[in-house]
Amino acid sequence: MQAIHGIDKLPALQSPKIIRMTTPFTSNKSSNQNPILRADDLACVRGDMVLFENLSFDLSQRRCLHVIGANGSGKTSLLRIICGLNSAENGNVIYDGTLLGRSETARAEMAYIGHKDGLKNELTAIENLRFQQRLEGLSDENHLDDCLAQLKILRCADLPAQSLSFGQRRRLAFARLLLSPKRVWVLDEPFTGIDTQGRSLIESICVQHLESDGAIIMTHHQSLDASSISPFKDELILNESGHHE
Amino acid sequence: MSTLILYFHREWLLMFRNTGALVQPLVFFVIIALLFPFSLPAEVNLLQSIGGGVIWVAAVLATLLSLESMFHADYQDGTLEQAVIHQRNLPAAMLGKVIAHWTATGLFLSLFSPVLCITFNIPVDQFWVLFVGLLLGTPSLTLIGAIGAALTVTLRRGGVLIAVIILPLYIPILIFGAGMISQSEQGLETISQVYTLAAILTLSLTLAPFAIAGALKATIN
Amino acid sequence: MNPFSIIWKFLDRTYHRLASPREFYGIAQYMTPIFGLLSLALILSGAYLGLFKAPADYQQGDSFRIIYVHVPAAWLSLMVYTIMAVAAAIGMVWRMKMAFVVAICSAPLGAVFTALALITGSIWGKPIWGTWWTWDARLTSELILLFLYFGVMATYHAFEERKTAEKAMAMLSIVGIVIVPIIHYSVEWWSSLHQGATVFAEGGPRMPSDMLTPLLLMIAGFMFFYGYALFLSAQNMVLNNERKSRWVRDLIQNTGDSQ
Repeated sequence: MQAIHGIDKLPALQSPKIIRMTTPFTSNKSSNQNPILRADDLACVRGDMVLFENLSFDLSQRRCLHVIGANGSGKTSLLRIICGLNSAENGNVIYDGTLLGRSETARAEMAYIGHKDGLKNELTAIENLRFQQRLEGLSDENHLDDCLAQLKILRCADLPAQSLSFGQRRRLAFARLLLSPKRVWVLDEPFTGIDTQGRSLIESICVQHLESDGAIIMTHHQSLDASSISPFKDELILNESGHHE
Repeated sequence: MSTLILYFHREWLLMFRNTGALVQPLVFFVIIALLFPFSLPAEVNLLQSIGGGVIWVAAVLATLLSLESMFHADYQDGTLEQAVIHQRNLPAAMLGKVIAHWTATGLFLSLFSPVLCITFNIPVDQFWVLFVGLLLGTPSLTLIGAIGAALTVTLRRGGVLIAVIILPLYIPILIFGAGMISQSEQGLETISQVYTLAAILTLSLTLAPFAIAGALKATIN
Repeated sequence: MNPFSIIWKFLDRTYHRLASPREFYGIAQYMTPIFGLLSLALILSGAYLGLFKAPADYQQGDSFRIIYVHVPAAWLSLMVYTIMAVAAAIGMVWRMKMAFVVAICSAPLGAVFTALALITGSIWGKPIWGTWWTWDARLTSELILLFLYFGVMATYHAFEERKTAEKAMAMLSIVGIVIVPIIHYSVEWWSSLHQGATVFAEGGPRMPSDMLTPLLLMIAGFMFFYGYALFLSAQNMVLNNERKSRWVRDLIQNTGDSQ
């Protein structure tokens, strides 16, 4: 089994419990030489619990890394460490050869959608997007409409975010990803609370992103095999539950 | 700079779509100040001599009350973590936010202070002393307070903790602000206090945004 | 090899030894009794000289002798705050675990010194000023300092996650150290507005050496006591923080066996 790349440098006895990273046989050799993002020997501790340690993996362009694990296995913590929200107990996240913690430009290449939508209730859908867009230093009004249209919420453009349904808010959060090209999308449970149509929409923008040389790292509690993302998929399996230090 | 303006503008939009919260600090400010006459003997001279100090304490408490909500909504809806991820301009962003917050609290309080002066029988020529003092002092109160608000944003009951950690830091501003009034009542120059308050404001304008950003990065996880 | 690189190597080694909780625990193990004995010797000799040998003050009589507790405590209250803030800054910048431990263990010690300075100041004030409390600039500054310590301790204990608590507490102590001089200056200004200069004005009566020597001994003794107490509580905190690690478990095992 050629599965476990990125982990082979670890001492064999230390890590059998945790990580199984399986990668499809094809398409790896070339892209892995130059990963966009590399996690090196990450460890995460909450209180006295070690959620994971000695975790190393690569994320290449055109790949979607599916992080799998039970509740409390540290999936969300891992994603937050990758986009720099949490600090790891040990190890580094390296983006394009530079340490993530040091480089603001690297961080600017990340887009994160977590459990919280990151929307202001009092602002309308389009105002929420416009604010994000202006922060990136862009100002193309038509593009805002395009983003909303792609997620089929253009008719909600002028409604305040608080009057949107849960699914619509979620779609609005994803519209943010289309505002400016970011290389790495970090998505925490992206399909929760979204109907079938919404899910396939989000899958299609993910595929679009992957095909234009982007990369995704996501958590999702179900298998991605049936989805349109599956050809791009790698898996990272965190162990069942944390253990004590 | 543009980040600062964007955040300032957004905060204003948010506040004006939620006007109920906008007037709360002002009402609180007036009520606190008006409690004092009830708890003291009804003597015009006494009220007059403590008026400036009372208005300052009321301004400090009104600022303190408004602090807890400063980052709370942003933390709840996730916009704060988005700001922290793209933290290239986090200090500037937070400065814009704090300035907007000040215009809705400190600026209003300063503009309203002459009305309170009337109720405390403070002579008309002292009005501007109090006004200038509040105008220079309240931004520092908000900036320093925002550090405390950022440190406690993830806590469920952060309000009391903010008071414990921030009130001692307010003492210099209170001393010079209220000192201005008592100096001018004795017919003394107040320009040195104006300079000191301005110096404190300069210091907090330059350092506090970085402390706020650092505090947010440290506590949001 | 040039002398600078030798010094650098020494500093580098010391840094790495102090930075590791395990090494720190070992160093503290033999430093604690040294600091404890030194502080005991200094405080005993200082107290003896101060209470029995130093002449009585010509104005204040014997009541001035409380200075031998009051002044060292007041000195330490500020010194400990500075050490706490510097350690906190080191912890934030270099992510050094032990720096946070030093900062956090310093806070209650500093608060105790501050409280001691306040209490002795107040006891001293009774015969001299005729009142337990007066809004004297130094007393007021000490009182505010006590509240700053309380704020730092409250912040640390408010967070469940230790690492967040450490960082939050460190941020607050760094902000505090910037504001402490401003507080001190403002309180001096305020107090001069309200009352005349106090008995202990600058350039006031100089102290004869037989009064000064015990004071210096006491200050040194207090410093070593602070070091002693810091080592003890830092050791406890290290054991607690690292309680899951192998060396702590081995240590506890061995202590259990030998008893």
